[in-house]
Order: sequence, then C-alpha cells, then structure tokens
Amino acid sequence: MSASDWSELDGYEALVSELRANPPVAPERLRQRVLEGAPATRRQRSRKRKLVLVVVPAAIVLAVGAALVHGFVSSGSHRAQVYFNPRLAPTLGPASTTPSAAKSSGKALERGVVHAKSGQPQGVFSRHDSAAVPSAAQAFELLPARGAVTIPRNRLVHAVASLQVGVKSSNLSAKTNEASQIVGSFGGYAQSVRYQATHQGDGEAFLALRVPVQNAQKAIAKLGNLGTLLSQQVSTQDLQAKLNDQNSGIGSLRRAIAVYENALQSTTLSASERVAIQIKLNNARHALARLRHARNGTLASGATADISLLLTTRGHAIVAPHHDGSTRIGRLLGSAAHFLALEGIIVLYAVIVLAPFLLLGALAWWIVRERRRREDRLLASA
Amino acid sequence: MKAVNALPAAVRPPGRVAAPPFADVVAEHLDAVYRYLVYLTGDRAAAEDLAAETFERAFRSWRRFDPRRGAPRTWLCRIAHSAAVDWFRAEARRQRREESYSRDETALEESVFAEGLSPELDRALGRLTPAEREVVALRVLLELDGPSAARVLGISETACSTRLSRALKRLEEEMSDVRI
Repeated sequence: MSASDWSELDGYEALVSELRANPPVAPERLRQRVLEGAPATRRQRSRKRKLVLVVVPAAIVLAVGAALVHGFVSSGSHRAQVYFNPRLAPTLGPASTTPSAAKSSGKALERGVVHAKSGQPQGVFSRHDSAAVPSAAQAFELLPARGAVTIPRNRLVHAVASLQVGVKSSNLSAKTNEASQIVGSFGGYAQSVRYQATHQGDGEAFLALRVPVQNAQKAIAKLGNLGTLLSQQVSTQDLQAKLNDQNSGIGSLRRAIAVYENALQSTTLSASERVAIQIKLNNARHALARLRHARNGTLASGATADISLLLTTRGHAIVAPHHDGSTRIGRLLGSAAHFLALEGIIVLYAVIVLAPFLLLGALAWWIVRERRRREDRLLASA
Repeated sequence: MKAVNALPAAVRPPGRVAAPPFADVVAEHLDAVYRYLVYLTGDRAAAEDLAAETFERAFRSWRRFDPRRGAPRTWLCRIAHSAAVDWFRAEARRQRREESYSRDETALEESVFAEGLSPELDRALGRLTPAEREVVALRVLLELDGPSAARVLGISETACSTRLSRALKRLEEEMSDVRI
C-alpha cells in the first residue's frame, strides 16, 4: 500500500487517532445471533437448491420418458403399411424407388392393406355405401409371399385389390389385352381401360377390372404374372353381417305384412281401423321392396371383386415406405426423436410467445435497478 | 499502516484459491462490519440488525465468493452497504408515512458512535451526512485502501478521496463549532 493512499488523512492525525482508538465494538449478542443464524439459512438454501436439483432433472426425464413411451407405442409390432389408391395411379409421377432398388429388395413388393388400427382404409372402401367396417381378422396383414393371398369363401365379402405391374415397353399393349383376356377367362370383365403410351411404347395402362369373387384370388395371381409385380394390395370388407341383417329385416316385414293382410280380412273392423291398417300394410310393403333392393346390392357387391391394375413401363412402385425395412428399436428411437423434436418445437413456441413479456420484465427490472442506483447516489450526496 | 486488504496467507493456498471458513470470517470481520454500519446509520440498534442481515446474505452467497476478486472485508462491506441502502429507503418511506422523524436530533446528540469518543467528536459525527460518515468509517476505522473503499461506495477513487477530505474537514469544523 503506497503512502499516497493515506495522504487524505494528513493533517487530521489527532482526529483519526481518536476515532481509531475508540471504535464501536459489536455486542456479544450480535456475534451469537450471526453464528446461530447461519445454520438456518443453510437449511433454507439447501431446500431451494434441492428443489432446483429435483425439478430440472425431473422435467428432463419426463420429457425423454414421454418421448420413449410415445416411440414405443407408435412403433408397434406390425410391419409396413402400404396403400395404393388406384384412382390416382395413372396420374402419378415418377416415384423415388428405382427399379434396381425394387429388384434388390426381392424383385416384388407384396403388401396387404393393414387396417387393423385405423379401421377402414382410406379410399378402398369409400365408394361403397356399406357402413360395415372390416375387422382386424378380416383384413389381410402383410403377405410375405405371392401365393399367400386368400379371400374367404365361407362368408360374403367384397374384395378390392390393386396391383402395379412393370412390363417392357414393347409389351405394354399386348399385356393390356392379355389382362382383359385373363379377367374374361375367370368370368369377369374390364370395367374401364385407359391406355397411355408414347410411340416407343413407354407409358401406362390402367384397367379397372371386375372378377367374380370366388375367382379373384386366381385372377390376381395371374395378373401379377404379367410382368414384374411392383406392388400389390388386397383388402376385403365383410358383407355377411349386413346381409344377415337385411335377411332378418325382410323376414320381419313379411311376417308383419301377413298379419296386416289377415287383419284386413276381418269383418269386425271399423272404417278408421281398416284405413290405419291399410296404411301400415302399404308402408311395410314399401319397406320390404327397399330392403330387397338393398340386399340385391349387397349380394352384387359381394359377388365381384374390384381389381385395379396398373401396367407400367417405368418399373417403379408407388409404395409408401413407412417404417419399411427398419427394426422396431429403430422405429422406436426415430419416433422418440420425432416426439422430442415436437417437444422442442413447443418449448420454442412458448419462448417465442413469452419473449415479449420477458423483454418487458427485463426492461422493468433494469428501470428498477437504475432507480435504486439513482437513489443510492442521492443518498450519498445527502 | 496496516494493510487489511491483503489476504492472509492461509486464505490463499498456492494454485487453487479457496474461501476461508465462514465462522472465521465472522470472527474476523464482524466488528468491522458493525463499526461501518454504526457510522453509516448512526443507529446502533439498526446497525446490529443490518450486521446480522449482512452476514446472513453473505452466508447465502458464501460459496460464490471468490477471494481473488477482493478481500472478504470489502465484499462484506459491499453487502452491508446494500443492506443499509435498503434500510435508508425503508426509513424514508416510514418517515414520509408518519411525517415525522423517529430519530430526532436529540438522539443524535447522545453517544451513538462509540463509548470512548469525546462528546464533541460524537456530536460532530452525528452532524455529518451518512455518506460522509460512511467514507470516514471505511477509510479511517476499517482502514480500507482507496480503491476498495471506492468499490464499496460505488464511486470513483477520486470521488472517494474528495469525499473523505470534505468529510474530515467538516468533521473538524463541526467539532470547533461544538467547542465554541
């Protein structure tokens, strides 16, 4: 410490020595108070610290745990789900899957539509007015081999299939005709054919086919052999329950009509009663006619299978590669990461929303601090 | 002149700088903090409360105290300064509310600063402003050097030096007036 540090005291030696000789001494009670107060504050401090140490890791563990649970639930044990909307097929552009990739993955991708989770698969059943939703047992899970496609024959079902077959450019026209012939040979017919090709033969042919449901399985197998099967989806809709309901309804109406007819033959009826029964009889007959018509529609729907066939020279599949080829652990981690990212987005959103308020708070804090400093300065100059 | 701002050797181990035990700090600096607060507030009861509050605050943030950034005494005085400012603010509010000074001039005329002081010096100290008494306490009683005292006061070293000179000069003048 330099001597200049104390130069301000020069000339005031007597004053300084008197002040230093008689300093105020802290009373013993204050010393005890300070020493006793320390452990209490230590406990308070440790509680706060413990709270922070518990809450922050708990929040992180909760976020990660929720992500893992979500990943576990959403990854599921089922494999890929592939859906092909035949109405869109002719207008679809080039897909990302290359022919070589398709070949390397087993030459053909055969998939059934899985609708165990979502109920009705979108698009496939949308053109039917039936309210019946296929159950998981009726749905075809992924089919590992081409010959494994089975359509139940002991129940009335409506089957929908869509196939995508790659053919050579030179064969597109011939294969289109062959497909019509195959369907014809099974008692079916081509509902519509749309053929688009360049003069080199490159292009696509879209065929909407109808085949008796008992022959649908064979027809699908044969149509798949027209070329390289790129994708195949088969789904069924059980109509048996609906048919049973309709038959039951028809029987009830018939019985009701018989009762009304007998009642009308009675001679004891008053004129008003006769009119009322006659109205009921007419209503029942009308309802019976409608129900019969509906049953005919159900039977017709169950009699044939709709097959959408896309013959293409591009040799690619329109396949939704959802989870395809990944293990469950991989899917779980991917889904968990996705969920964590979602949580991050939510937090970021909250920060963005709260940012103006935080800024206002910071501004208020700064103003208060500056005000305090100003008061300190005023105090010093007082 | 004793260099109180220099850290004791035990507090500064080679390599890693560790803070001394808090009980040792209390034992060593309680009197200094109390003196500073007595001079600043001119109220022994308030000084006791503020000293207790100061050490409570200090204990709460003791783990964050870094001896390399300053001596414990300077750090404690800064905390005491902050506590005293809060106390002055509260007092001002209370006085405004009550529209009267609880601490009247007669109270200041009594021996509030120290038992052994001459009555003239004690009264003269009471007539100084808190800011003037504060700088006297820091520089004369606690023997803080210029930079440390300036840090506690939150002003420049020059301003601190000027304030001390004015305070001592005024103290002498007040003593002369009292004698007359």
